Amino acid sequence: MDLEQLWQLTLGEMEVQLSRANFATWLKGSRLVDKKDGVFLVGVSNNFAKEWVENKYQKVLLGIIRGFDDSAKKLEFVVDHRTSVADPTLKKITSADVRTFGNQMDLDFKVDPETNLNPRYSAATFVVGASNELAYTAASAIVQEPGTKYNPFFVYGGVGLGKTHLIQMIGNEIKTFHKGKIRPRYVSSEKFTSDIVWAIRNKRMEDIKKRYRDVDVLIIDDIQFIGGKEKTEEEFFHTFNALYEHSKQIIISSDRPPSSIPTLEERLRSRFEGGLIADIGYPEYEMRVAIIKGKLQEHKRSLKDSVIELIARRVKKNIRELEGVLNKILFYQDAKYIDIDEKTAEEIIEKSVQNFSRRVSDDHILKSVAEFYHLSVDDLLTRGRKKEVVEPRQVAMYFLRDILDMSYPYIGEKLGRDHTTAIHAVEKVNQEINKNSALNQKINIMRELIYKN
Amino acid sequence: MKLVVIKSHLKDAIGIVSGASAENANLPVLKNILIEAKGGKITLAATNLELALEYTILGKVLEPGRATIPAGMLAGIINNLQTERLNLEEKNNSLDIKTDNYHAALQGISADEFPLIPKVKNPKGALVIKASFLRDALAQVVFAAQPSELRPELGSVLFVYTIDSLKLVATDSFRLAEKTIPKQEFSSTQKEEFRILVPLKTAQELIRAFRDDEDVTISHDESQISFSTQTISLVSRLLDGRFPDYEAIIPKKFSGEISVPKEEFISAIKLSGALGTRAGEIKIAIHENKKSIIISCVEQGVGENTYALPARVHGEIHEASFNWRYLLDGARAIAGEEAWIGIVDDNKPALLKAPNNGGYFYVVMPILKA
Repeated sequence: MDLEQLWQLTLGEMEVQLSRANFATWLKGSRLVDKKDGVFLVGVSNNFAKEWVENKYQKVLLGIIRGFDDSAKKLEFVVDHRTSVADPTLKKITSADVRTFGNQMDLDFKVDPETNLNPRYSAATFVVGASNELAYTAASAIVQEPGTKYNPFFVYGGVGLGKTHLIQMIGNEIKTFHKGKIRPRYVSSEKFTSDIVWAIRNKRMEDIKKRYRDVDVLIIDDIQFIGGKEKTEEEFFHTFNALYEHSKQIIISSDRPPSSIPTLEERLRSRFEGGLIADIGYPEYEMRVAIIKGKLQEHKRSLKDSVIELIARRVKKNIRELEGVLNKILFYQDAKYIDIDEKTAEEIIEKSVQNFSRRVSDDHILKSVAEFYHLSVDDLLTRGRKKEVVEPRQVAMYFLRDILDMSYPYIGEKLGRDHTTAIHAVEKVNQEINKNSALNQKINIMRELIYKN
Repeated sequence: MKLVVIKSHLKDAIGIVSGASAENANLPVLKNILIEAKGGKITLAATNLELALEYTILGKVLEPGRATIPAGMLAGIINNLQTERLNLEEKNNSLDIKTDNYHAALQGISADEFPLIPKVKNPKGALVIKASFLRDALAQVVFAAQPSELRPELGSVLFVYTIDSLKLVATDSFRLAEKTIPKQEFSSTQKEEFRILVPLKTAQELIRAFRDDEDVTISHDESQISFSTQTISLVSRLLDGRFPDYEAIIPKKFSGEISVPKEEFISAIKLSGALGTRAGEIKIAIHENKKSIIISCVEQGVGENTYALPARVHGEIHEASFNWRYLLDGARAIAGEEAWIGIVDDNKPALLKAPNNGGYFYVVMPILKA
């Protein structure tokens, strides 16, 4: 009998002997931590529980445990921090607070003021899989010889898939690999823009030029946001050229490839396309499992394998969301003092994921898809087999299935088709996504469109 | 249990320990105060299972024993009694309170249900500090603490003990306060440096409970801390978690440095804040003549005001916007007549302190311009 079973049986007997209130107050969340030479170590939730259980229940507990395991000689008690409960009533800091109280300080980590890099984004915590292998390999090569091979290095991919992690990691690794001889600098395109605006207002353009051109590796996050801001684009263009001419490494991230940033100036686009463009796709199942396991290890926690697999199966599209669901499950485990089983996990996932998709209606999906392809919803619904509408129609069916989990007959009916057509369409798109990166990219953008509105 | 006690003593004790009592659906005894009479001493205690307060008073113990009575009810009675001497007697979990012309029989809960209050085990030495000093130091930082969902560890005051000082730090990520108590102000048998998180509620109770100027002995183990004087003992759990490495965000170089008379500065902040704008945003700007600062507040549909405050200014002309309450908190916490404000730029933290430092500073984030 393992410790967990033994303790469950013991608690079962205690529960009968104690009042509900006493049981809940003092023994909820307790566990058998260890057993050694007949000494059983019991972990309880706080110091008061320790004092109480030690003084009042010790004999009874020992008696019960002996009934199951006659090697038991003695009980010892510890306060087990694993069981301490987070408080769900705590305040969430919202963007409104930031407007009222000021910005938040960056308390998380010592963001290096020289490089702006956050040491949290390290190579050790980056999980590599088929979806980001190319980007990762290129990144590793850049770390060793920045500025020579892949310059500029352009990474794109959907929300929450690890772009920022990857590009900050390059900066951090360069710093350690070259022992500070090569100076990277990370900047979000928002910060870049606000610096330019500040410089124009205060007539301090020279300062800014110096700040951004006097580095060896410039890392710019979310470049799509500078699209359409003329002065910023121009300044970035010059900075880009100045660095590029001196063989300084430039690393750029975006949520889409350069060709899909409509407001980006042509000369910038062609610059971006001159280097290596790598995409980060959705993590496949094994990678999601590895990410969850890594997170658990980081938090020194554990979950049943079946639960880990369940989370990995159900949350596919966003690593941040994956972490969110995982945190929720861990929190639930703390708050309820139970080990999460698949059923409970399923419920938690259901709640978080449903919340997400409940806002989306089938008509909204059709509208978004039609919009993306510059068609009308009626075009999707006509019986024609024109090439221009075949792909949009199949994609629409795919989304109806993927996001809303609709039945095939319903999907068929919605688009005036047979249910077998719907099945075929969804399968086709599912296959194509893995082969056809252009389609994959379109799907990602459409998905964001659907959720955004 | 049977005892005679002076009312004012009992009143003090109830006032202090009831801060630790709590409503708890599982354990109703937590809203009660435990009265325990033993060997000429009467101890009152209350706990919410996070912290426990005990207060010992003198009185005449006729029969030792224990009783627990709901804190609110007990306070209501004792605070309103006029008589100096009270007779208390416990019979079958009920407490009789008698004076010459008053009698109450109060239903309590068996004292056996009351939690056992844990003790700090094997502390590695202790710090001894004057109660008034500890209280004032805590009051200078505690208002800056505020836990959030993502950062429960900010619901605490960080105690950092090193060979030459004890530092108290609190932050809610919008502002941060740090008080340094130099080693001359306390005595120590503590052998190891430490860095522990004392829960916010515990810090607040400390400020409330330690009123006299007795010496407070502070000791701790891995999971608990105790603060005790001759009469009061407070035991609390320590907060789990890692306090942020806040040192990195303390600004060290400033582009504008301002010295102002503190009281006037406080009035100016209140004046500007009086507009009651939605965001509570006020702007501090250095006047071009560098002889004053302009504190102003503008809200569309409400109005605007400007206050010019004579000041000594060094450095560039700069302006930054802050939440006026946060600024006020910091200005009030500074000791002395003068306030010193260092501004870096409009999106980096600003620093407030007394010009001669005084072991205290306050860092506050500006409100970023939209």
